Amino acid sequence: MYFNAKDITEFMAQKEFIDTAIVPLVSVDLSNEKMKQSGAEADFLIALTAFIEQQFKGRLLVMPLFSYSTVMKNEEMPKQLEIQLHNAGFKHVFFITCDRFWTNIEELINVIWLPAIPLESMDKGVKNSILEDQLRQVIPIFSTKWSQN
Amino acid sequence: MSNNRVSRRQFLSYTLTGVGGFMAAGMLMPMVRFALDPVLQKHEGGDFVLTEQKIADITEAPIKVDFTFEQVDAWYKADVTNTAWVYKDGDVIVALSPVCKHLGCMVDWEHKDGNKNEFFCPCHAGRYTKNGGNIAGTPPLGPLDEFEVQEKDGYLMIGPSKPNTLV
Repeated sequence: MYFNAKDITEFMAQKEFIDTAIVPLVSVDLSNEKMKQSGAEADFLIALTAFIEQQFKGRLLVMPLFSYSTVMKNEEMPKQLEIQLHNAGFKHVFFITCDRFWTNIEELINVIWLPAIPLESMDKGVKNSILEDQLRQVIPIFSTKWSQN
Repeated sequence: MSNNRVSRRQFLSYTLTGVGGFMAAGMLMPMVRFALDPVLQKHEGGDFVLTEQKIADITEAPIKVDFTFEQVDAWYKADVTNTAWVYKDGDVIVALSPVCKHLGCMVDWEHKDGNKNEFFCPCHAGRYTKNGGNIAGTPPLGPLDEFEVQEKDGYLMIGPSKPNTLV
């Protein structure tokens, strides 16, 4: 489900079934050399989370992109967010990102780090099969967490 | 000077008829167009989409078939790819929607956590029989939707979805 009015209405009604939140963390780097890379990362995360959402619509809520510029980057942010999501009733919170920085706090929060694949120059078929490959890497992470309880 | 001279009176009445005609047409044309509009409207969504799946390659075991169509959301056009589980039941081709009737996840055929010869939803362990019937005691409340199918030059075409007719 997405964080929009329609899906949230359904989420409210079916709360006990939707126990997982996915938070995409995107770095917005505005320096000349990194800006394009940053855009590609945002692209990739949007495409991948949409793919995950399609597969597991009934079990997880994909949060809007949490974006931060390089100076706003702060280890506390995801930790605090995780606490709030737990309070809101989510048993599992996953952060999905292309930013290596967050792997530093991997022991504290569930970080799924993936290298950004530049999707902009690919045609639809290739894009889909690449996303499917990525999804296949992510699914076991979810299923192990889900089967733990 | 020719013989059939146009009098001032005639000239004025011709001009007025002409101009009046244009004005009347200017008002009537949009009205007529609006009146006809519902008839002329294109019917979208009810079309069949050609897939790359050869009819001859479809077997008793369900396979995933992707089909892409254009979806228009106000001014935003997007290519949407949907999937169907397709198999042969005798001579009849069956295409089932992969969307779980519980909360909309994608079901999988013979998933590793599920049973043989069943569809399984990995989200909340919903189970369906091969014809899409939901198995009592699991979360789904109805059978999987079915797609209408057609054949074109040996390839499969997938149409609009309808409630399951096999269960």
